[in-house]
Amino acid sequence: MIELYAITDHPGPPLPDVGPLNAVATEDLAAVCAPTSDGEVSPDALWRHEDVVEALMEDRDLLPVRYGTRLEDESAAVRAVAERYDELAVALDRVRGAVELSLRVLVADEPTKATRQEPATGAEYLRAKTRCGVERETAVRILHEPLSILARASLQASPRSPSELLRAAYLVDRPTVESFVGLVARLQSVHPGLRLLCTGPWPPYSFAER
Amino acid sequence: MTTTISERDVALVDLVDRLLGGGVVIAGDITLAVADVDLVYLSLRALVTSVATAQEKELLPRMGEAV
Repeated sequence: MIELYAITDHPGPPLPDVGPLNAVATEDLAAVCAPTSDGEVSPDALWRHEDVVEALMEDRDLLPVRYGTRLEDESAAVRAVAERYDELAVALDRVRGAVELSLRVLVADEPTKATRQEPATGAEYLRAKTRCGVERETAVRILHEPLSILARASLQASPRSPSELLRAAYLVDRPTVESFVGLVARLQSVHPGLRLLCTGPWPPYSFAER
Repeated sequence: MTTTISERDVALVDLVDRLLGGGVVIAGDITLAVADVDLVYLSLRALVTSVATAQEKELLPRMGEAV
């Protein structure tokens, strides 16, 4: 069995020395793969996979492949890429020259009003919930919108907890990454009540299929 | 992973989101079925001890009390 890591251009630069990688060509695309054995899915396993994709990302454009994509052998990889060749070629062009940055925004501290006065009634609870909705809209307006201007594309996912105001991904041109991170830092400094968690640059996972 | 602003633990949440939920889908055996992804996702998230997550956990009971 082989595991797929990424779809890249063919021919491309030499593969990085991060394991027994091979690039299997289908026309002008290549699937980068390596022999695999079943293993437990753990944070370490995910980071090892990520390290390979990031090493590839250093000197080439790529579409990261969904984690856990395994095929019988290299000829199966050629067939699989050929099946979706047109879509993959378009998708690779879409992310060409760009990387992904992630942003999550959390409430860093509770408003003093809330600690002073706990909502005792259902009506007060509903008002608190509405306030949370307003905060999310505000976070989009004051954070997501200005950051989106620096990005080639952006998307938002649903927040996962009451304290999470924003969960977003940005496809950013490589030369613009520094400005993007600088803007995140400035936005953080003017909004000390929020925690802006920005990570990256990531391979463009969130933009590979859209 | 080059963390720009936050720590590697914070990045693990983003890593799990991306590896298990993103990337291009190529015909083949996806080792993890959709239901499994949710389970792995939950167990990995449980391992995350980032400031952010600790903060989320800290806030949740207070929200609970408010209800």
